[in-house]
Amino acid sequence: MAYHSFLLEPISCHAWNKDRTQIALCPNNHEVHIYRKDGAKWSKVHELKEHNGQVTGIDWAPESNRLVTCGTDRNAYVWTLKGNVWKPTLVILRINRAARCVKWSPKENKFAVGSGSRLISICYFEQENDWWVCKHIKKPIRSTVLSLDWHPNNVLLAAGSCDFKCRIFSAYIKEVEERPSPTPWGSKMPFGELMFESSSSCGWVHSICFSASGSRVAWVSHDSTLCLADANKKMAVASLCTETLPLLAVTFITENSLVAAGHDCYPMLFTYEESQGTLTFGGKLDVPKQSSQRGLTARERFQNLDKKASSDTANATLDTLHKNSIRRISVLAGGKANCSQFCTTGMDGGMSIWDVKSLESALKDLRIK
Amino acid sequence: DAALRGDSLRAFLTAMRSSPGHGKNPAMKEQAQGTMLKVLTSFKSSEIEQAVNSLDRNGIDLLMKYIYKGFEKPTENSSAILLQWHEKALAVGGLGSIVRVLTARKTV
Repeated sequence: MAYHSFLLEPISCHAWNKDRTQIALCPNNHEVHIYRKDGAKWSKVHELKEHNGQVTGIDWAPESNRLVTCGTDRNAYVWTLKGNVWKPTLVILRINRAARCVKWSPKENKFAVGSGSRLISICYFEQENDWWVCKHIKKPIRSTVLSLDWHPNNVLLAAGSCDFKCRIFSAYIKEVEERPSPTPWGSKMPFGELMFESSSSCGWVHSICFSASGSRVAWVSHDSTLCLADANKKMAVASLCTETLPLLAVTFITENSLVAAGHDCYPMLFTYEESQGTLTFGGKLDVPKQSSQRGLTARERFQNLDKKASSDTANATLDTLHKNSIRRISVLAGGKANCSQFCTTGMDGGMSIWDVKSLESALKDLRIK
Repeated sequence: DAALRGDSLRAFLTAMRSSPGHGKNPAMKEQAQGTMLKVLTSFKSSEIEQAVNSLDRNGIDLLMKYIYKGFEKPTENSSAILLQWHEKALAVGGLGSIVRVLTARKTV
């Protein structure tokens, strides 16, 4: 596990380039910083300053090498690398509240922005006017859209929002693509069609993720639950009430296994059992450092009793790698079907790369299906 | 409530099963809360753990909701015994069960 502390402030969001040598992140302000890996060190190579509000979402298109960023200033910018400089292009989203999340579609011909205006903007490039245009998906979203993920067919989009629901919409744009073929989620997919809506859980949906095949979608919500909907089982929803604090980020690492992390500051493994339609907790994925067990002197014991009313020898500091909530997880290698490495960033300003093989060998009872 | 005089554990399980859950009728909810509180306070400290272990995940969440409801309207000795219930329920349900009490939109 490699942990690198970039900043003292939280990292709001991050995105990796195609060969994982550069990371773009927002250091909790209006800018985006791009760092490049130089051996074992990271050096800052670019600073992208165009937004007037905090940057809430970054996505890096691997093939076309374009960045899209969105922020609380209600704007999104598409950045292209010209020589050694990133040049921004403004995209008018026509929203009157902050943008919260942005994702390139798999074919990189469009991107989706979720915002506090209770709608999703699907943006695509119009060749005749040399200009990014957007279309809105509004019904039946009732609150801020917090998270988005695209289905591999480039048309379906899953959105998690603060109205406690996870929904799958069709974002079919006839100007840039042809009709999609039927999927387990449905066959008629006009723009804005609601393909699936979860029944209410009781928490804001913080993060949502399609599996590699696109037939499963998982989401985590603020009432400490993890849910998964399986299109092959007539969209049956399996949910698990976790014993931890709410999770903020989730991703598939194989078709049946998920890694999620959140306010408990460590990633954890969950497994989906297809035959029974159940989700189970697979284990904590953080290897704590072995702290030396010092015996407490009588004086220290009394001091502890006096100050903290406990005679516990346990540390007051966290023994996890991240020292504050983890906000984002991204898959680095292997894709969502067979992930071998994933990365987490959090409110402690640190970025950590986790290797799945080392985790499997370090933690004895881990089973990744 | 004849069950109250008899076996506490059975009374507890009956009260849990027959609770209106998240109904809308305020009178019914008041009555259920009262019954639940009586059952919870009638337990001896040593019996609490056994009762908690007999519940499944949804039961633990429901129990947590009733414990916090009991905290809201404290009576003479209720808080002390409720705290013991809380400790045992927390050991099984974890922080997640408390989060679900806080985020629940339909209260018991």
